[in-house]
Amino acid sequence: MATVCRLLRNKCNFLSKNVMRAMSNETRVIDPHEEKIVESHTERDTIIVDRNEVLASITGVPEEHIKTRRVRIYMPARNSMQSGSFGLNRWRMDFDTRERWENPLMGWQSSGDPLSNMHLEFKNREDAVDFCERNGWECYVDEPIKTTIKPKSYGANFSWNKKTRVSTK
Amino acid sequence: MAASKAVQGLKHAKPILSVDRNDARRRVLNLYKAWYRQIPVICNEYHINKRPKDLNRYLRQQFDKNRNVKDLRVIDILVIKSLQDLHETKNWWKMANHVLYPLQESVNPKPTGFLSKFLEGHDP
Repeated sequence: MATVCRLLRNKCNFLSKNVMRAMSNETRVIDPHEEKIVESHTERDTIIVDRNEVLASITGVPEEHIKTRRVRIYMPARNSMQSGSFGLNRWRMDFDTRERWENPLMGWQSSGDPLSNMHLEFKNREDAVDFCERNGWECYVDEPIKTTIKPKSYGANFSWNKKTRVSTK
Repeated sequence: MAASKAVQGLKHAKPILSVDRNDARRRVLNLYKAWYRQIPVICNEYHINKRPKDLNRYLRQQFDKNRNVKDLRVIDILVIKSLQDLHETKNWWKMANHVLYPLQESVNPKPTGFLSKFLEGHDP
């Protein structure tokens, strides 16, 4: 009985698939005039808007935290106690610091600022500036200080023509 | 140090509701009218101790706040949000204090002057 049922179901599936295919074939045959209308309709389906629309009014961030905040965009510096440079090649944004206070009994740190711990990272500076401008935040970019690493070698200390030990010779 | 202006320009985008400026304008005006008509009812039903005239002024302020929004899609979202708000108010999904909260009358204004800021003691 079960096998009969399965067979019937398969047949039904096959039939319905064929019917669908036939229908889709039918709908695919459109005269060129109609196609033109469809094309113009799709053109009308898009509107032209500003590339950087200002979203501040619809993000739901309170007005107080849009108009009074200042954002710093910077590249994080390497930890001076460590030599690893992972995660440095990106841009970060930070908000200005608001009032912080210490719990008199336990010494817990507190702040009433909802944006104080928000760190967002971007691939480049333009993205970060874009983001801030779209969200209505005033921002400034802290340019990273470029460091040049001079190649040094131990062997240069014993070289006859490199002036590494000038004072002792 | 100075913030560089982001790349300016236009782009194609899918509309949310309005296809052009007139369309958006019509929606905003309809919304304004709907709120305007609802305000006396709101005052009456929520037992708000205010004249409809005052709330009308507040309504006008809210619309004026977004006067410089140019993007059609942003306008549409604002309209949709406000319509939802109206719907909620009309259907009694709010209480009187929810209706009055946006007026911020019970909130003390923040000090603005140098001395008043100092006397306030802290600036959270």
